[in-house]
Amino acid sequence: MQRVHRRRAGPNCIGQQVKYKDYYAVLGVPHDATLEQIRKAYRKLARQHHPDMSKAPDAEARFKDAAQAYAALKDPEKRAAYDDLGRRPPGEEFAPPPQWRSAHPVDGAAFEDMDLADLLAALHRQQASPRATMPRSGRDFEANAQINLGEAHRGTVLSLRFDDGADALTLEVTVPPGVTDGQKLRLRGKGGKGSHGGIDGDIYLHIHVAADPVFRVDGHDLYFDLTLAPWEAVLGAEIEVPTLDGPVLLGVPAGTRSGRKLRLRGRGLGKGKGHTTGGDLYAVVRIDVPTTLSAREQAIFQELASISTFRPREPAKPKGE
Amino acid sequence: MSLHTSPWMWLDERDAVTLSELSQVSGFGPAEVDELVEYGALLPMQPQEPPERPEQLFSAHCITRLRTASKLRIDFDLDLFTVAMLLDYLNQIETLQRQVRALQAHRPSSE
Repeated sequence: MQRVHRRRAGPNCIGQQVKYKDYYAVLGVPHDATLEQIRKAYRKLARQHHPDMSKAPDAEARFKDAAQAYAALKDPEKRAAYDDLGRRPPGEEFAPPPQWRSAHPVDGAAFEDMDLADLLAALHRQQASPRATMPRSGRDFEANAQINLGEAHRGTVLSLRFDDGADALTLEVTVPPGVTDGQKLRLRGKGGKGSHGGIDGDIYLHIHVAADPVFRVDGHDLYFDLTLAPWEAVLGAEIEVPTLDGPVLLGVPAGTRSGRKLRLRGRGLGKGKGHTTGGDLYAVVRIDVPTTLSAREQAIFQELASISTFRPREPAKPKGE
Repeated sequence: MSLHTSPWMWLDERDAVTLSELSQVSGFGPAEVDELVEYGALLPMQPQEPPERPEQLFSAHCITRLRTASKLRIDFDLDLFTVAMLLDYLNQIETLQRQVRALQAHRPSSE
């Protein structure tokens, strides 16, 4: 289950030390770079290190560094405040001097584990919202959940655990029957709490249905292989077949060819909200042959071969002939 | 299709959201959603006759795609027209993935 981290709000910590980062060096641009140069450098790094595109172990960290640097330098006010901090060796711990704080007032409700990016973000909030009491929506949480086909059919209850900083959050989520692989569910208002009258965030649940050893899934329809003996395919048969609700008898019509799909209506995945019926179950026929024959079986097949008029490789005659 | 009232909703064609809710959950402003509609990257549902609601409705199916596009927009600092192109490609990928899954389900596993 995905773990979601959130910083804990704490007392004002403007007097605390923050670690200096050379954002210009991170992006590889000179200190007098234009906005266009900064944007170009960032996009190049984002393309190189984005976690969706790079498998390198440090890709996420490098992308985050570049994104932080870009967020600070693309905004003229943040860039000015950053430049006013002066140049320092990367990693140096420092406290913003009093004159900087008076020139660039920062939101009082800052974080106790503030870093340079937080400091500049707090500055932005202060400018955007002087009283820091504007409604703020709660965070959305994204989670992945894997269930088996039976759980998808009947519905299930999942226990989702979110590591929400100091407070671990566990939520029980009822997954209704009829969910299919790749479906997404939105749980409204179950995410992070909003503040100052802002609405609570949501949970976005991505459902993955594990591959089943018997059934293959297409939406709400299920498919499985039904292997027939040649005489069952030719003569027809009643065969016990599996379904998600237990075995049932399937009537195989005489003359069933390999590859034919026999449908059991309504025996697929259970109906979900908004569906009037469930999916269907399809038996995909394949015909197998015995590889060792008794003398009598050999004789019967030879007799069949000699009297049969069936010519499977002859082209079909046009209609009307 | 209906506007959801329960605490959970399927993010597919069974549920619908208003333009303002789509804007709230996707991170795109209402005017930006309108612009994506103008570009043809988003298709509002056909208005009912007589209109029950004055606001445009969208299939909840587009929420996930829009949220993905919104994240990529921030990560790569994309403009809205590029986002519109991206949404088309995300849609195509989703359709192809669904077709591959269907084809894999239909054919005998021994093939």
